[in-house]
Amino acid sequence: MTSYVEGSPVKALIVEDSAVETMVLSAMLRKFHCEITTAKNGKEAVQMFLEGKKFDIIFCDKDMPVMSGPEAIEKIRALGEIYVKIVGVSVGDNAQEAFMRVGANEFVPKPMKLDVVRAIIQEVIKKKKNNNTV
Amino acid sequence: MAATMKLSTLGYAASMLSTGLLDEQFQKLLLLQDGSDPNFVVEIITLFCEDGERTIGELTKQLDKRCVNFDEVADFVHKLEGSSATVGAQRVKNACIQFLEFCKEKSRDGCLKTLDTLRVVFYDVSGKFKAMLQLEQQQAEATK
Repeated sequence: MTSYVEGSPVKALIVEDSAVETMVLSAMLRKFHCEITTAKNGKEAVQMFLEGKKFDIIFCDKDMPVMSGPEAIEKIRALGEIYVKIVGVSVGDNAQEAFMRVGANEFVPKPMKLDVVRAIIQEVIKKKKNNNTV
Repeated sequence: MAATMKLSTLGYAASMLSTGLLDEQFQKLLLLQDGSDPNFVVEIITLFCEDGERTIGELTKQLDKRCVNFDEVADFVHKLEGSSATVGAQRVKNACIQFLEFCKEKSRDGCLKTLDTLRVVFYDVSGKFKAMLQLEQQQAEATK
């Protein structure tokens, strides 16, 4: 489990093939002082976990080339990454079930709203404080 | 370029909002811009226009094939749907939604017809976006 140091930024991974959407979500997360990493598809995201990288939260698109969001989430959870909060994000109506079935914690429809992102990040910060282990 | 968009540029954006070319999502985008990232809106709009143009080109190619791969077509449309929803390009987004229906039905004629609509609405909004950015640029030059 990630140790929490007071004031340490939330480590966010954005998994998204659209540069426009990555930029907008990054701008939102910067407002909350998140440390942002991006992946262009599910395979890149999984690779990061295989390399030992750790994140507090993943915002994951559904339809991407090479590897879809749900497929990547399934693989990430199978690696034992059960504590990272995973938010499935999609513009499609029927995406929620696909995300929740593979272990996402939450689904947010696009376009994402700043208030929604704020609430999610605050929840992650609260959880990090509560899990304060060294 | 100034950290905030000039009033006349905001006025231009307001007219795009009032005609339904853009929705309130664009206003939220403007609010994301701050002093630490003064070119944010310019970059987003520029990227949207470039990506959108590339996507329309790909869709034209895909629908020109003898054997259309509707899943691949839908992937391209879906991507444009997402980015247009994110920037608030309402009519582009709506055209994409219609397009996806024809992809599901595997209707080449429906897709081609909707591509024409998509092309019109996309170039309408991207043309106005580019004009807005030019106005912003000219005003920045004038105040130097």
